[in-house]
Amino acid sequence: MIRDLIRPGTILRLVVFAALIAFLLAPDRFAGLLAPLTSNGAPPIYHQSSLVDLTLSHLFTVAVSTLAAAIVAVGLAIFVTRPAGAEFLALSRAVVNIGQTFPPVAVLALSVPIMGFGEGSTRLALFLYGLLPIFENTLVGLSTLPPAVVETASAMGMTGRQRLLKVELPLAMPLIVEGIRLSAVIGLATATIGSTVAAKGLGEVIVAGLLSNNLAFIVQGGVVTGVLAVLISDGFQAVARHAAKRRGVSSGAPPAEPDEQQAAA
Amino acid sequence: MIELSHLTKVYGDIAVVNDVDMHVEAGTITVIVGTSGSGKSTLLRMVNRLVEPTEGRILVQGNDVSKMPAHELRRSIGYAIQNHGLFPHWTVARNIATVPMLLGWDRRKVAARVEELMELFQLDHAQFAGRYPHELSGGQQQRVGVARAMAAKPALLLMDEPFGALDPIIRGKAQADLKAIQRRTGTTILLVTHDMDEAIHLGDRIAVMDGGNLKQYAPAADILARPADAFVDDLIGAVDRPFHYLTLGSVGAAVEPGEAGGAPLAADASLYEGLGALLWSGRKAAPVVDAAGTPLGRVTLDSIADRAARPR
Amino acid sequence: MTTLSDAATDRAATPRVDRLGVVIAILVVVALALPFATFRATRIASGTGLRLFDALPAGTAAAVAAVLVAALVTAVASRRPTFRLALGALALAALALGAGAAGAHLTPADNPYARIAPASGFWVGVFAAAMLVTDAMVRLKLGPVGRLVALAVTAALVVALLASGAWSHLSLIAEYRNRADVFWREAGTHLVLAAGSLAAAVVIGLPLGVLAYRLRKLRDPLINVLNIIQTIPSMALFGILIAPLGWIAANVPGAHAIGIRGIGMAPAFLALFLYSLLPMVANTVVGLNGVSRAVVDAARGMGLTDRQRLIQVEMPLALPVILTGIRIVLVQNIGLATVAALIGGGGFGVFLFQGLGQTATDLILLGALPPVALAFAAAVVLDAVIEISGKGKA
Repeated sequence: MIRDLIRPGTILRLVVFAALIAFLLAPDRFAGLLAPLTSNGAPPIYHQSSLVDLTLSHLFTVAVSTLAAAIVAVGLAIFVTRPAGAEFLALSRAVVNIGQTFPPVAVLALSVPIMGFGEGSTRLALFLYGLLPIFENTLVGLSTLPPAVVETASAMGMTGRQRLLKVELPLAMPLIVEGIRLSAVIGLATATIGSTVAAKGLGEVIVAGLLSNNLAFIVQGGVVTGVLAVLISDGFQAVARHAAKRRGVSSGAPPAEPDEQQAAA
Repeated sequence: MIELSHLTKVYGDIAVVNDVDMHVEAGTITVIVGTSGSGKSTLLRMVNRLVEPTEGRILVQGNDVSKMPAHELRRSIGYAIQNHGLFPHWTVARNIATVPMLLGWDRRKVAARVEELMELFQLDHAQFAGRYPHELSGGQQQRVGVARAMAAKPALLLMDEPFGALDPIIRGKAQADLKAIQRRTGTTILLVTHDMDEAIHLGDRIAVMDGGNLKQYAPAADILARPADAFVDDLIGAVDRPFHYLTLGSVGAAVEPGEAGGAPLAADASLYEGLGALLWSGRKAAPVVDAAGTPLGRVTLDSIADRAARPR
Repeated sequence: MTTLSDAATDRAATPRVDRLGVVIAILVVVALALPFATFRATRIASGTGLRLFDALPAGTAAAVAAVLVAALVTAVASRRPTFRLALGALALAALALGAGAAGAHLTPADNPYARIAPASGFWVGVFAAAMLVTDAMVRLKLGPVGRLVALAVTAALVVALLASGAWSHLSLIAEYRNRADVFWREAGTHLVLAAGSLAAAVVIGLPLGVLAYRLRKLRDPLINVLNIIQTIPSMALFGILIAPLGWIAANVPGAHAIGIRGIGMAPAFLALFLYSLLPMVANTVVGLNGVSRAVVDAARGMGLTDRQRLIQVEMPLALPVILTGIRIVLVQNIGLATVAALIGGGGFGVFLFQGLGQTATDLILLGALPPVALAFAAAVVLDAVIEISGKGKA
């Protein structure tokens, strides 16, 4: 554990995290850094809303939608892998494959006519799109368990429920966490675009920069969202790795897995 | 202990187990042997209802298994399989504790039982209790698998090719250990294998299956002496038969009065081992001693050869 | 004795209701209950929802309803995939033609500004029919060629529908008609962005992947950096790239002349290219790594040089995995190119974001549907190609 903490990558992440917090809490101290990007005396720091508020509501939107997506997607994946839901298994696989070809930004745009402007449509889009990677990964996790292990669980006298909770879900956990990571990363990106449909979030800073031709706004918005996404993604990966390593089970897809869905959105 | 009557399992149009009647005596090891596809595993898995029979009835200790909730039945029957099926996310101790925990045993009782079993299976508690299955060797994993199967002191233990994944040397040791542990605990064991050597070595009685039918069900010596048909004969192997036969008798049983030179043989060694020792040392006879080292007489090549001949 | 055997045979013998069919049937009922079309007096006025029988002449409405009910019955009563496919496809056709007919029926002669659009009932119906078709396709287990044919037939039917003028009274088409020239220009931009960045990623990413495969030391750092780039939200990366590209355009002689700008296509293209590198490099490495050691050893043992081995043995065997990388990139880029419009990069996103700005649903659809269809078609085509290329190499 201690050794984990003093790895150079960890130190770098801590420094980046500290810098992010410092910038969000006292952005004006960084004005000098961003001033060269402005012209005609435009303000280097975005002040229409507090950056902390924007960050928090951005994160909240992503957290709420991803959590809801995780609950529903894991539940559905459990359902279609039980005998009662077997009829839906093949179709649900196909729907998820098709669904993942949909651009997240299109899903966002299409949810505006349904939910109207604001956080609602962003949350709906994030929720809907977030279902896909979590469902797929949970499905893979639950359907690729070693047959000997699943059979022995039954043979030891576990009920279906005990087998699910004590054996199947824990073994699928690294993959489920990886699915949630993908959803969260896609969500963070889509929520940024959500600012164009009036959802409160960090995209607002970038949009303001684009509208007023203020490069400093664009860069600060872009860097803050980028850093947030990288740190959050890293956090999930660390959790998945930890879960997988301790158990000696296959970890969530490593970066080089060929059929892994990609995260950018 | 186990009473199978008219047991049948049909998949599609094929009866993988066809009208099998069988009685398994308590406290014995019964080995079901057959080629792959003979229905032996299916038969075994019907006992703890991992497979539901199409027809017929199974009584375990007088109770119809179909009348019990499957999970409760299974908690009362041990089960060990070839790839051990250990839960990779649980430590050795937690794995062994599976069924006692499901049964709601008191924590201290579980811990004591785990320790007892690890000692029985020669796994150092301090060293192995906290390890995960992937940190063990194949032989250790297999022992944990059997220990787990026996954790709740089941009267009946089902084993499906339990030693199939082990290399020959470790397999021999595991078989000997199992036999010793079974003699100590008196557990009834129903074991499935494709390996006739293993069947003869372990089985008090052997059931030979082919194409879903029970071909012969008899003590090992009877199977060797009087194979029911050409299939059983084939399975034993014409060349190996006398040697199989010798593994069943002990040197002590062939002792005759007299003297012989060279290293003595132990009375409880098998005749097969005795034959090997004589052939390799180039002797026609060897002295026999009991466990305490007291001379009992001698054993000769001829007397061993007599016991390898087909009984009349 | 009876309990066991009876339970087992019961389960096998009793025909149970297909629960998926029931779900689809419920969706069809919901579709029939919801408004089929929306009428708006002007482009952005609020609309009135009209049910099937209010939106269409009675005969046409009855015909559409009849087809939908037939599909409903098939979903519940028949498990034969061919039946389900036929009825699902028929229902889709009926819905499409019905929508067009509603446009013609509802457009008042005296109000050219009135807009007719398919409403929630139409979309739910399409969803239900699409489920029926998808389920049937899954069960039919079409091979790669079969899937390509199905895609081609579908595309031909959609083109025929649009070309026939059957939808010309629908507001989506009205939006298109108003900006047909721009539409095709932006479509071209979109394709250049998506396919161009893919081409660049193949040209750079493939050699980079081979290099990372050969040089173990390079592999992890490179993949890690690409992974981090992949994690950065598109809008953020597009934005961040504006600064350096703007600087280059202003300070490097000739850069401006070849089209490098701080804003517009250049940062979008560069961002898409950067996003594409991870799947390209990672899949090349994984594909090459996946070539069996025995084959590599045999090739070496027979005296192939490193170069010959790479070109004649390793690359062909790694091809399906590398193609999977290309599939990921293409589908991803078709989607991401939509975001390029935010930084003036063009593409279908232009309509999508204009539509969002004007709260004009039809304009949003005009921007959102083409990339959805393109990405889907790209996925089907490349999946088929991957399957064909992988034949006999498993």
